[in-house]
Amino acid sequence: MAVDSLLSNRLRTGLTMLGMIIGIGSVVAITSIGQGVQKSTEKQIQALGTNVMMVMAGASKTQAGISQGIGSSSTLTWEDAEVIAEQVTVAKAVTAYLQKPSVQVIYGDENVSTTIIGTDLNYSEVKNIYPEFGLFFTQADLDSARSVAVLGAKVRDQLFGNRDPVGEVIRIQQKSYQVIGVMEAKGAVGSQDQDDMVYIPLTNMSLQLVGNNALSGTAITGLWLLTDSSEELDTAQFQVTNLLRLRHNIYPPDDDDFNITNQVDIINTFNTVMSTLTLMVSAVAGISLVVGGIGIANIMLVTVVERTKEVGLRKALGATNQTVQSQFLIEAVLVSTVGGSIGIGGGIVLAAAAATAFQIPLIISVQSIVAGFSLSIAVGLAAGVVPAQNAARLDPIVALRSE
Amino acid sequence: MIELQNITKTYYLGEVEMPVLRGINLEIKTGEYMAIMGASGSGKSTLMNIIGCLDRPTAGSYLLEGDDLTTLSDDELAYIRNQQIGFVFQQFNLLPRLTALENVMLPMVYAGIPKPQRQKRAAQVLSQVGLANRLNNRPNQLSGGQQQRVAIARALINQPALVLADEPTGALDTKTAQEVMDLLTALNQQGITIVIVTHEPDVAAQTQQIVHIRDGLILDVYHHSPTLAH
Ligand SMILES: Nc1ncnc2c1ncn2[C@@H]1O[C@H](COP(=O)(O)OP(=O)(O)OP(=O)(O)O)[C@@H](O)[C@H]1O
Ligand SMILES: [Mg+2]
Repeated sequence: MAVDSLLSNRLRTGLTMLGMIIGIGSVVAITSIGQGVQKSTEKQIQALGTNVMMVMAGASKTQAGISQGIGSSSTLTWEDAEVIAEQVTVAKAVTAYLQKPSVQVIYGDENVSTTIIGTDLNYSEVKNIYPEFGLFFTQADLDSARSVAVLGAKVRDQLFGNRDPVGEVIRIQQKSYQVIGVMEAKGAVGSQDQDDMVYIPLTNMSLQLVGNNALSGTAITGLWLLTDSSEELDTAQFQVTNLLRLRHNIYPPDDDDFNITNQVDIINTFNTVMSTLTLMVSAVAGISLVVGGIGIANIMLVTVVERTKEVGLRKALGATNQTVQSQFLIEAVLVSTVGGSIGIGGGIVLAAAAATAFQIPLIISVQSIVAGFSLSIAVGLAAGVVPAQNAARLDPIVALRSE
Repeated sequence: MIELQNITKTYYLGEVEMPVLRGINLEIKTGEYMAIMGASGSGKSTLMNIIGCLDRPTAGSYLLEGDDLTTLSDDELAYIRNQQIGFVFQQFNLLPRLTALENVMLPMVYAGIPKPQRQKRAAQVLSQVGLANRLNNRPNQLSGGQQQRVAIARALINQPALVLADEPTGALDTKTAQEVMDLLTALNQQGITIVIVTHEPDVAAQTQQIVHIRDGLILDVYHHSPTLAH
């Protein structure tokens, strides 16, 4: 019965469903995309290890009123890194690095702008990244500040294509470097693309490319510290903070001249951003559901008026108020759930398109579909209640006499 | 058997009282074939609606087989309409989106009869009224006479004791009107109580009893043997 009357007004029913389609569609799409992005980022971050902490030179953003920009001052030295490695009990390994972004690297006619990392031998272990071809540099390379370079996978692709470049000579800031290895591809985490880097000995970088501007020792941009597990990061952070304050003569409330972040923090920050975003889009979806519900309520009110005579007749034939009320409620729920189901389908298609476009995994959770469907039913019930009651309350005589 | 005792119906239009029925006393015996006649606005339809439990009297009592119906709830009245009473209207009042079969099945839906049984019985009754080959036609594919026969089939579907027809021939030409009357007469002969509201003396003449109403009061009741239909 209900289906008949909906079908006879296809266009109107369709338009009424639009609000539900958009509302439910965006709920399903956004939860899927959100989960996909979260998953892919977590995977990338986990690939780097959740038991890693980063210490950078420069005032902490949260403590200093105005940040000087991380890494702009050379307040951290290689010696700091070595003392940390020695004295921080939970430190499994520490690697110091100097970083210089946007440096021209040339091979033959090819040239790329990439980030140069000067580091020590612990880099591979701490960052969990190893050479795919050739070797990482050795203690001897480090000690004698040799001009050798290990290429990130992307830099290799750009300069050499698929060729094995080991043994070739490239030019970094007009200076010659011999390629001794190529790192495995790791992918990007946020703006940091580990594949878009060239690794050289820290000593060489300090001497040849940036110059040393520390008061004593070798200036570094920062250091990475590896612990056995992520639970030890808090301890590590506490110990590193105390050790560096001691070494740098910083007494609170003076601001630290270093800045500590760890992967767990990054994941948490990211999750916070993601859930805020999800919340905002859900709010928009919620609004369109309310609008959709109002649309259904509106059309149902019109329908009841149009079908006054039909209601009178049905009552004359024995329909109770309850039966009439259920009939109109069912119609409202039918409109909302059919709209909602189309919305679920559309949301999945949208999520799939987004997954392909952003190269994230496509995650369609059962919960989001169940939630979308339950929401449709709820909206239909809420929208149908008043019109259905209006219909049920119609006096059969008045209804039968109406035209 | 139906007994109406001092039934009144008054409409209130703002402050203005409009008495439509002003004390109706009427007995309708089981198996009766009755016509109600009267000028337009005299209260015939109002009376029919009260007899059909579609409307409640302002005062008076309505006894159906000895039970007073005036105290029943809406749902109980709906049940009585569904089980005991069949309605036939001047404008047929079929649902345009439904086929003849579906229209006839409607009262059985509200009686809670399962679908296969509904279909079987509806087809049976439709063939009884001569529409065996029109089961799946919609009302707009049927003539007026055929539509009214579908409506009669619908009125009969739950085997009611009483069929109420408010000007059942009002929208039909003389020939089809006579066919409908023949059908109603035949039903009466099977023992169904039938009450018809009509303006047409020809129609009234085919019943056994004519009740004249004027200004909400029964003027007279005239018993006669029906003239045979031609
Ligand atoms: N809901 C209502 N409110 C107010 N007045 C009403 C209402 N229903 C009917 N009436 C009035 O009651 C009177 C009787 O109406 P009713 O329909 O019973 O007349 P009738 O005898 O069937 O007339 P007709 O032969 O034209 O069908 C009329 O004057 C009508 O205007
Ligand atoms: Mg009338």
